[in-house]
Amino acid sequence: MTRLARTSVWPGIAVSAGVFVACLLVALAFGPASLSLGEVWHFVTAGPVQGDLPNAIFWQIRLPRVLVACLVGAELAVAGVILQDLFLNPLTDPYVTGVSSGAALGATIGIVLHLSNLPWTTVLALIGGFLTLGIVWMAARRRGRIDIFVLLLAGVTISYLASAVVTVLMIRANQDMYAIVYWLMGSFSGRGWQDVVIALVAVPFMIAPLFFVREMDILLQGEKRALELGVEVERTKRVLLVTAGVLTAIAVSVSGIIGFVGLVVPHIVRLLVGPGHRSLLPVSLLLGASLMGIADLLSRTVIAPNEIPVGVVTTFVGAPLFVYLLRRGRKG
Amino acid sequence: MALVSLRDVDFAYDERPVLRRISFDLQAGDFVGIVGPNGSGKSTLIDLIDGLQHPTAGEVLVDDVPTRKIRRRHMAREVALVPQHFTLDFDLSVREVVEMGAYCRGKDADACADAELTLTRLGVPELAGRRFTELSGGEKQLVVLAQALMQKAKLLLLDEPASALDVSHQLRLFDLLKELNGEGLSVLCILHDLNLAIHYFDKLLVLSEGEVAAYGPPDEVLRPEIVEAVYGVRAYLHKHAGRTYLTFSPRLRGDRLGRVHLVCGGGTGAGLMRELVDAGYDVSAGALNALDTDEETGSELGLSMAVEAPFSPVGDEAHAQNLALMRSADVVMVTAVPVSHGNARNIEAVLEAAAAGTPVWAVRGVLDEDFTGVTGKLEPAGVELFADDAGMLAALGERAPEARAARKTGAGHSGPPALKT
Repeated sequence: MTRLARTSVWPGIAVSAGVFVACLLVALAFGPASLSLGEVWHFVTAGPVQGDLPNAIFWQIRLPRVLVACLVGAELAVAGVILQDLFLNPLTDPYVTGVSSGAALGATIGIVLHLSNLPWTTVLALIGGFLTLGIVWMAARRRGRIDIFVLLLAGVTISYLASAVVTVLMIRANQDMYAIVYWLMGSFSGRGWQDVVIALVAVPFMIAPLFFVREMDILLQGEKRALELGVEVERTKRVLLVTAGVLTAIAVSVSGIIGFVGLVVPHIVRLLVGPGHRSLLPVSLLLGASLMGIADLLSRTVIAPNEIPVGVVTTFVGAPLFVYLLRRGRKG
Repeated sequence: MALVSLRDVDFAYDERPVLRRISFDLQAGDFVGIVGPNGSGKSTLIDLIDGLQHPTAGEVLVDDVPTRKIRRRHMAREVALVPQHFTLDFDLSVREVVEMGAYCRGKDADACADAELTLTRLGVPELAGRRFTELSGGEKQLVVLAQALMQKAKLLLLDEPASALDVSHQLRLFDLLKELNGEGLSVLCILHDLNLAIHYFDKLLVLSEGEVAAYGPPDEVLRPEIVEAVYGVRAYLHKHAGRTYLTFSPRLRGDRLGRVHLVCGGGTGAGLMRELVDAGYDVSAGALNALDTDEETGSELGLSMAVEAPFSPVGDEAHAQNLALMRSADVVMVTAVPVSHGNARNIEAVLEAAAAGTPVWAVRGVLDEDFTGVTGKLEPAGVELFADDAGMLAALGERAPEARAARKTGAGHSGPPALKT
């Protein structure tokens, strides 16, 4: 009986893993140059081959792009779960902490200063994100405790501040306006292996919350009750908030600000497997990756050879779903 | 060694003091209730014992270790708390919620089976598969108790666990707590129902304005004078079927509207006594025979009375006492008491009072069951007659605002408030 209850998590994870593999393959196969699943398999097993154009397209362009998209989707979904459940607020998404706006400011500075090309923009975005996390953190610290609501307010305030600075920079440097706007909307266009490496840094941070599933379940009853039941609440909050901040900063720095995935995926997954974190976290991770993989596929194929910014695609999918969830009422 | 001991504990939220100089010990196996008015610091006290708050001065020791130094997980294995309010808006099953209680026990394979057992023990095994958000308030309270029991702690703290329960679940809950106490669990429980507190608990701790007003066995602690001092209401002890009960009247001390003297007997005055006391009047009665229903009610309510021996006519001493009580009354009321030679002197006393200028009101019914004819003199003496008790109370109510106004302007401060016209 005990075993049954504990193993019942696995069917959900297995199904979502299957969905993820299917989405990954579809995302790898389709594009301006479509491949069959056989060809995908062939390229994967053959490894990068010099002088073979389709092989080069697959290894140098499509595979890194799809991997970045999937990693970013997973990062945003996990950060969304953590923040919604820590704030006990279903309207929370990874961007409320202000980390994304800080990253956007960093990236904008990179673009305006023409530090050229992605690495610098990405690095400055990362720095901006972490700095913001630090500032918000200091603001919310009181007598050795992190006040979750002060954190939320500080995050929103910093967001506005950073956005205001970005707007000023955009007006001052109007020849870069297009690049800044495009970055802000979010895209996986032109992302290569260096971005995959940065996005992969987040993997330990996606795994870390899995060691806190019982604590996260208990925290759904509020911080005081969690203390009563024996949870070291401040330590847990610290680990989870830093984790969510790092995940958001990394995701935003490689992809720009892509909305709705971090907000809506956790809600969809709660409807599917319930609010228990033992399944909610891994399933959100896999479905976040799947959704972003497919969204990126649509963004580069629907009006090929032009691209729709991926944020637009996720919003088109996410907005109606979100309105539907709002109409269902605040249930978690 | 005491399980919990508080030594000179002060506690303040920011600058506002909540608890002052609290010192008491809780021994293993104790079954103690905490009572006290709202805002007296009861919930804060159990938060301090659970280490959720730390004293601003003094020490709280659990197993001789200051709570400040105890890690949360270890604390949860020592002390479990059932909070007064509990919110969980997420769609978890009752089984999942109950199992969370086992968190402090680490990886415990029995936790799942224990959840069912604990719910069965509380008499609600059928809740296991339900969704927590769909439960009623009382069911939620039981589930949270089950969650706390899963901690298998030595001490259980409860904050008004019965507030959302119907009477049957209330009694079942306290019986269960008593049973768990018999198995070695120490219990410290906040409750508001003083009668439940008297019946169930071995010891009671009375908190008043952040200080311990009394700590000891219920019959020593819940004496009417202590209840009056702590809650500011009048309390009365009644013995019924071998048990002691407290009843209360909302009169605040010092809020006296005036003195009313009742002439009654045989139960014709008991209702009026209670109503007058509750309305805030200082009531006296007489002369009554000891063991008469009205005499018993009067003594439970703590009235001053002129009392005669059982089944005896009113003697000189009781008559004199009765007259003295009437003289200090603002109004004398006569109920529809049957008049015979045994209590005819009461009517004579009433006539004397009327002659002295004290307003005397009587229920017309007193004229009907008169075996002596003495009541015939009432109306000529200027006694006002009413159809029933309610009529007299209404007339009294109409006079009360005048009395209050008189007191406010200082007119009545030297003596009893003026009801006299």
